[in-house]
Amino acid sequence: MMAITFYASHFGPTSTFAHPAIQATTRPAPVANHPHPQTVHTYRTNKMSSTSPPPSTSSSSMPPPPPAPAQLTAKEVQAVMPSAVDAGRTITVGGITVTTRKLPILNAAEIEAMTEKLGIAPPEMIFGNNVVSIKGVAKADGAPGEKDKTWKIEFNALDALDLVDKTGSDMLKVAYSAAWQKQRENMHEGIKEVVKPFDWTYSTHYRGTVTENARFEPTQQQIPLDKLRRQDPILFFDDVMLYEDELADNGMSILSVKVRVMPARLLLLARFYMRLDDVVFRIRDTRVFVEFAEGLVLREYQEREDSYENVKKKLMPYREDVPAIMRDANQMVEFLPLQGTVVEKMVL
Amino acid sequence: MPGLPVDLDACIERLYKRELLAEPVIEAICAKTKELLMRESNVVHILSPVTVVGDIHGQFYDLLEIFRIGGFCPDTNYLFLGDYVDRGLFSVETISLLVCLKLRYPNRVHLIRGNHESRGVTQSYGFYTECARKYGSANVWHHFTDMFDFLTLSVVINNDIFCVHGGLSPSIHSIDQIKIIDRFREIPHEGPMADLVWSDPDADRDEFALSPRGAGYTFGAQVVKKFLEINDFSHILRAHQLCQEGFQVLYDDRLSTVWSAPNYCYRCGNLASVLEVDDLGARFFNVFDQAPENAENRIDQQPAEKVPVEYFL
Repeated sequence: MMAITFYASHFGPTSTFAHPAIQATTRPAPVANHPHPQTVHTYRTNKMSSTSPPPSTSSSSMPPPPPAPAQLTAKEVQAVMPSAVDAGRTITVGGITVTTRKLPILNAAEIEAMTEKLGIAPPEMIFGNNVVSIKGVAKADGAPGEKDKTWKIEFNALDALDLVDKTGSDMLKVAYSAAWQKQRENMHEGIKEVVKPFDWTYSTHYRGTVTENARFEPTQQQIPLDKLRRQDPILFFDDVMLYEDELADNGMSILSVKVRVMPARLLLLARFYMRLDDVVFRIRDTRVFVEFAEGLVLREYQEREDSYENVKKKLMPYREDVPAIMRDANQMVEFLPLQGTVVEKMVL
Repeated sequence: MPGLPVDLDACIERLYKRELLAEPVIEAICAKTKELLMRESNVVHILSPVTVVGDIHGQFYDLLEIFRIGGFCPDTNYLFLGDYVDRGLFSVETISLLVCLKLRYPNRVHLIRGNHESRGVTQSYGFYTECARKYGSANVWHHFTDMFDFLTLSVVINNDIFCVHGGLSPSIHSIDQIKIIDRFREIPHEGPMADLVWSDPDADRDEFALSPRGAGYTFGAQVVKKFLEINDFSHILRAHQLCQEGFQVLYDDRLSTVWSAPNYCYRCGNLASVLEVDDLGARFFNVFDQAPENAENRIDQQPAEKVPVEYFL
């Protein structure tokens, strides 16, 4: 009974999919005795200028419907879909190469593959093809047999989610869980099966994925904030989402990575923010700092957390703005007490 | 519309241009919509042809795109499956337009309640903040959320296709059990009304299972099969879950998810679809990408090369 039809003209051999817009349509031929005028199904690109839509004129500028459309399955459509957003940006400064890639969320097949690898269901918005990486080369110091060593630290969703608790031991429950459980016990005693317990808030202590020949060791050094506060020109900036979940409307969980490259140094911030309504707020920050001239690579990891009740009290003066503040990790960081900091230095 | 002190056609025309209606107009429209919705059953029966729309989430330009693709009201009949507000930038404009269209063409436009049509959820996910910013007070939010309490919970097309926002409930075997729910209230945390707007299918299972978060259900293949048999339906049509392809069909074509917010939150890069049910009851997905206006109007998300540079620490 189900059919998906894409216009042949758009999927013909000459089509290059330079633009991500596709219009699929479905009604192969006008239906006789249709109780309302035949609606216009047309292929349009996003570049087409659009007029504001009084209904009577909405279809006048449309091209005529193309001839018999070709039948394509959902899989075929997926296979020819262009990648939207951007397929990768890169910059090399001071021997350090920073690459970011932003692609659409995973499709059904990719989600299935990831679920298999992880053993848990990925978050609702899963940017499994996104990545931020920093690559460098440590020059050989001249000792015999010594070679240049390349290193890389990368941030991706799969590795971040692999660190989410999959046993259910760290599992939080929504605020009304006790009441919900009690209410349902009387009604549906037969339903005992819980979908495999795991930390469905997707809390991770991910600090990035490091290549084998590099490792981090604890250090007393600190990231030099004074140098980073200076308004040095920013040669490269990006903000890359790795995953996001609304916790079934009980809050939010989000992991994103920002990076800025200046002429002499760079800073990366991978921030995990989680709000479970009426329960808890949580921020986990990983910063990577590279000073190009010294070949210095520092990594700082910080945890912040507080109860919903405490935060609510602190936010009281902000009144109407509270919901917006609670959605914004960058503002919330001011209100959550620091639980601990670890600074490490990269050694090769 | 008798007894309504505003010109609906003029309102609709303004809303198509993304102009806001004045607060007293919203108040009057919401009051009238309540009267209209109050008379609807918890299970509204309609006939095809109808175009079914999933989550929109305030993506106003994508709603206009749906009308351009699927036809404007009243030339095309529409069934919206809920989640009109939150997340997107234009929740107020989106719900204002949909409510006006419902009032103007009550038998050609049907609106089902989604889990975001609630006071609690809209306070967290943007609609409340948007109302307060665009109108300077929360009054408009109160008018809309009071009206949400009257939205119906489900629609049956051609006595054959069961349409709901989320999914099935262990408390509901027959649609007669939906008809007796007292729906004129805030969406509760538990019970059949909550399940209808919240639950998700789980293709790897047969029965109901508890969600790991400690509340809510997923429903499996046998649950769907039994529900369809008992009610003599052939298909379940629901929204509620983001899919990159814009739609997903499960359980041997017994259940479809329709997702109608392309490039969700202006950053997911996903496609969207509407599902057209023709006069014979056959189903066709109409897949589309985001509206061109999104790029010009989005204020928080910019194209990659224009991401606002930030001296973050």
